[in-house]
Amino acid sequence: MSADKKKILVVDDEEHIHLLYQEELEEEGYEVRSVLSGEEALKLFDSYAPDLVILDINMPGMDGIEVLRQMKQKQPATPVILSSAYPEYKQDLASWASDDYIVKSFNLDELKRSVKKHIEKNNA
Amino acid sequence: MPELRRDPIIGRWVIIAKERGRRPTDFIIAEEPVRGGFCPLCEGNEHTTPHEVLAYGRSHFAPDTPGWSLRVVPNKFPALIIEGDLDKEGEGIYDKMNGIGAHEVIIETPRHDDVLHQMPVTQIKLILMSYRDRMLDLMKDMRFRYIMVFKNFKRAAGASLEHSHSQLIALPIVPYLIQEEINSCLRYFDYKERCVFCDIIRQELATGSRIVCENSEFITICPFAPRSPFEMWLLPKRHVSTYTDLNDSMLNSLAQIFSETMKRLNAAIPNVPYNYMLHTSPLKQLNIEHYHWHIEIMPKTTMVAGFEWGTGFYINSTPPEEAAKFLREVRLLV
Repeated sequence: MSADKKKILVVDDEEHIHLLYQEELEEEGYEVRSVLSGEEALKLFDSYAPDLVILDINMPGMDGIEVLRQMKQKQPATPVILSSAYPEYKQDLASWASDDYIVKSFNLDELKRSVKKHIEKNNA
Repeated sequence: MPELRRDPIIGRWVIIAKERGRRPTDFIIAEEPVRGGFCPLCEGNEHTTPHEVLAYGRSHFAPDTPGWSLRVVPNKFPALIIEGDLDKEGEGIYDKMNGIGAHEVIIETPRHDDVLHQMPVTQIKLILMSYRDRMLDLMKDMRFRYIMVFKNFKRAAGASLEHSHSQLIALPIVPYLIQEEINSCLRYFDYKERCVFCDIIRQELATGSRIVCENSEFITICPFAPRSPFEMWLLPKRHVSTYTDLNDSMLNSLAQIFSETMKRLNAAIPNVPYNYMLHTSPLKQLNIEHYHWHIEIMPKTTMVAGFEWGTGFYINSTPPEEAAKFLREVRLLV
């Protein structure tokens, strides 16, 4: 593992999403860690110090919007991309605290573009 | 015995379940827990919103910086986008066009904990003025046909952020409900040569039983056939079809009665979630004789369920005369 690899934290309650994102994002040169719940994500957030978070909204227990709120309170500069199967949540003003909103799709081009844009912006 | 009442404007029927007669004290609304945390609408977080399109109160000219009293910003993830052509087309019997529109958020205060019913009248005037000023700006765009302003207060009424805000959506079509309301007003006008809302105001002033409050230019009533307990309409007494015709003196008067109306509602049913919607004439039908702008205030005290969806009827357990009396007589803390 290279020290200068950018770190991405994926938070999603579906394991197949972990596999899909991990494979694609590692291919792009990122280091990826995945967790299944918001509670786990918040525990890991301080110690792992990700460069970017990809966050699901609908999860059992703490939902993504609450996780987003707490992450932004801890570390406002860390970009968080909301990723949901529900496009209608995009109009929910609470999603404004995120840096981007991606509707889940098997075509990950949009997600990869957004990850690249926000990591570069944060390092500019 | 329950009573069926017909709304004189769009002909919608409601069932007033008189014997159930729920008083405000029957609607106990639990206070929603404060979520706190990061809020993109708070002063100091201007960098997390899209660039503002309007701001009042700053003494300097740097947009998207603190020091404002009210800000309007486009929706960060809009349902409709502002750039592009409509490209209207038919696909067999189906009509479609590009999703062109504007979706803006009016951030009513820089402070996270302010609520409308506790704001000073001067701040409420800014809110009402921002509706007018954004409408005047968006009216210049020839693609738009209707501008709807609305507010959702509290999660139960659809608000996902605690910070006090309202929203504005400019649409390339006149929404079905508005068109139906205007068509009904036109039918009434063709028959009587009078605006139906003007007739309603005249009758309500004569009887007085459904008046909540009034001043020299505006009146708030509980309508004859309300869809939900404590529904209220705020109307100008003089015939005006278009909200953007409000001048500064009328804004003062409107802010005063709007403030009083919202204070009365909260005093009657503390913490009640609500929606309000501003109904004004469509952009291609300004200053018409048959329509009358107004604000509809819908407290969220009941659930719309299968019967209502299936029939378009509403069941209301509080007669508007009782609701208006209570709202009129409720003690306001000054």
